[in-house]
Amino acid sequence: MFRTISIIAFLATFLGIGLCCLAFPCCKECRWAPLAILRRAIRIFTMLFLEQKLSPVGALRKLVYLLALLCFLVLAITSFYPVLVLKEPIHGYWLMLHATFAPVFAICLAGLAVMWAGNCCFNKSDWPWLTHILERLTPTKRVGEEPSNERLGLGQKITFWLIVVPALPLILSIILSMFDFFGTYWQELLLDIHRYTALVFAIAVILHTYLMIRAKMRE
Amino acid sequence: MKKGLIVTVILIWLAFVLPAPTVCSANKAAGADTDEKLLGDESDGSRAVPIHLIPMYPENEDGEKGFKIAGDDEILLPFSIRWTCEACHSYATISNGWHFNAVDSNVAPGRPGQPWILVDASTGTQIPLSYRPWPQTFKPEQVGLTPRQFTKLFGRHTPGGGAGELESQDPDEFMREFISGKLEINCLACHNAAPEQNQTEYAIQIARENFRWAAAASCEFASASGSAIDMPDTYDPFMPMPLDDPKKVPPGVSYREDAFDKDNWVFFDITRKVANERCYFCHSNLDVGSNSPERWAVDEDVHLTAGLRCVDCHRNDINHNITRGYEGEEFISANLLAATSSCEGCHTTGRLGAPLLKHAHAGIPPVHFDKLSCTACHSGRWPGEKTILTKTSRAHSLGIAGINKSPEALPHILYPVFAKQSNGKITPYKMFWPAFWGTVKEGKVTPINLEVVKKTIGKILTKEKLPRTGDWRILTAEHIIEGLNSLQKKIEGKAVYISAGKLYKIDNAGKLIAAEHDAAKPYLWPIAHDVRPAAQSLGIRECEDCHSTDAPFFFGAVAVDSPIAAERDLSYEMTEFQNIDSFYTWAFAFSFVFRPWLKVIALGCCGIIGGVILLYALRALACIVKVLAGKS
Repeated sequence: MFRTISIIAFLATFLGIGLCCLAFPCCKECRWAPLAILRRAIRIFTMLFLEQKLSPVGALRKLVYLLALLCFLVLAITSFYPVLVLKEPIHGYWLMLHATFAPVFAICLAGLAVMWAGNCCFNKSDWPWLTHILERLTPTKRVGEEPSNERLGLGQKITFWLIVVPALPLILSIILSMFDFFGTYWQELLLDIHRYTALVFAIAVILHTYLMIRAKMRE
Repeated sequence: MKKGLIVTVILIWLAFVLPAPTVCSANKAAGADTDEKLLGDESDGSRAVPIHLIPMYPENEDGEKGFKIAGDDEILLPFSIRWTCEACHSYATISNGWHFNAVDSNVAPGRPGQPWILVDASTGTQIPLSYRPWPQTFKPEQVGLTPRQFTKLFGRHTPGGGAGELESQDPDEFMREFISGKLEINCLACHNAAPEQNQTEYAIQIARENFRWAAAASCEFASASGSAIDMPDTYDPFMPMPLDDPKKVPPGVSYREDAFDKDNWVFFDITRKVANERCYFCHSNLDVGSNSPERWAVDEDVHLTAGLRCVDCHRNDINHNITRGYEGEEFISANLLAATSSCEGCHTTGRLGAPLLKHAHAGIPPVHFDKLSCTACHSGRWPGEKTILTKTSRAHSLGIAGINKSPEALPHILYPVFAKQSNGKITPYKMFWPAFWGTVKEGKVTPINLEVVKKTIGKILTKEKLPRTGDWRILTAEHIIEGLNSLQKKIEGKAVYISAGKLYKIDNAGKLIAAEHDAAKPYLWPIAHDVRPAAQSLGIRECEDCHSTDAPFFFGAVAVDSPIAAERDLSYEMTEFQNIDSFYTWAFAFSFVFRPWLKVIALGCCGIIGGVILLYALRALACIVKVLAGKS
């Protein structure tokens, strides 16, 4: 069941990203020549580098992000590969790798939550339609537009919170199962929570990364 | 033309179809005959115990039902269980039961169980025997044992029937079989509620070849004397004549005077609810060795302590197809309770007041239930650094007077061994290393007839001391070479010696070489009892009960047992029996050192993430409140 849901969810995500790329290309004259694709790939690769203009905090933020991305890759492969491809539950060296990278990832997530949450706060400019509705429904005093110094789009903000919020049940579900609190029934429930939140989490990370790359390409 | 064809087809069809109901009816009638239930085959619903005040019948010289036994009969014959009980209970149906059907090749063998072990310390022999086709066991006839000889050796710890009732194919045994009779199913071995039921006496009678007298001798109102083994082939137990040798006593039976009522009927104290002690006669275990507590210091199975009896779980109907209680038994057993008589059966349904699994196993990840049997954590002895020796009733004749109580007495059964069973789950086993002189033909090893081995090897080892403890007689490479050379002259195929997991043979240069062979692999059978309480199960203290770098569950030593002195100090790691990577298991266990750190880090991170979410959720709430208040 979980395998089927996961496969459908991942296919839908990648299909959606593909369609998005085709329908809304990030550059005006998108070419599909091999050289152009290679150039774009190199461009994406250079995004991994630390820019010189970054402040020490900015550099730390990027480093934490990159480390989190690496951990995510390892965790996603070690967890989804056995389940989706090998059709067996995670065990053996897969499990050991998974458990080794998990705490590092948890630390990175906590760091990212602290460092990125401020920038990912929603404001009026993110949803003007909502502001418009609220102005009609309530006698709201218009205090003027807040100057927006954000570089992040609405999609990135939403996916950020879609990463941070499921991270909590994702980590807690597996850690709590290690304590002598829950019997077999709850253990199985916790495992299911871990699986499904991991799926939501993984899709959110994929979307967030896609939107991030897309935004960088536009710059 | 067309009409004719249609008519022909219809006629052919009718010819095939019309007789069918007749055949079916005939089958039904035959079925009705065989399925006819006797008085005691079907319960009328009363839970009261039926009183078995009944006449007793012997078997006559033709093997048929004899005349009713009376206390004042001139020639007293032992009552036949078959002819006495069959008046009300279908003997043929009962004889298909698990305890009696080993010799029936049509019966599914099920999960391998404890075999009979043919032991001879003097020749370095311990061979797993079974009439069931369990892998790695040999049929008794492969080692030269006729059913009659098998019964004489092992009938002591059986409730009769099975091999004891097989017709002998050996002309030399025809007369002996007439004298001793067959070893019928002994219902009293289990169902006699009288405390005087004496299975030791039963064993003695079998050793004397008094098969016909064994059941009567074991019950409370009869006693047997004499010995069929001493009787000449011409002896007729139904018309006994005085013997030439006054020292030899013919087999006979006497009944307690007050056993008979005025109609010469006898009261049998029969119970359906068999007492645990009856089961224990054949199913007892004793751990031996310096670290093993004495019997009185060992706790019973937790189920018995809780008030259950063996037969509460191991149940059967009239066909005596008793549940063995292992996982998956329901797929081969016709017993309706097979599915619910396993550990899981009771502990998922709450039968018999069993604590439910879903509320138990706090902190144990569910993957354990895919990889371990229930017994892995709950049954048998808590594993130590090395396997220990254990004794069983059937292997060591426990419960019979005069047995060798020495801890070293053969066969050497090792335990607990945690090995992977056919369903992929690790489960605790008992095991022993087969040791025997055999012959290889087309790569297949079969034991050489033990009598041939005794004669040949016995001569070679006369100078070697046979320990009084019942332990192995020490063998050296020279002994084996000499033994193999001697045996080679008497057998076809290549003579080999199996021991310590190796096959020893002499190469072309005359040197002794050892090689691995399937026939040399240890014979293992899973155990289920004694079940320890949950509070004493593996993993109850901490994960490190099993997941530590020196945990006996994975890294315990499985001793190698052999008459060959050089092999005795060897051992194998438990992981080798589990088909798992030893390094991975070690590394995984080592990672548990960091588990407390993992918990602290993960909970700390959760605290931070939760704090951030809460902070911004409150800010969002404040914003909503402001908007709804119309302030901004």
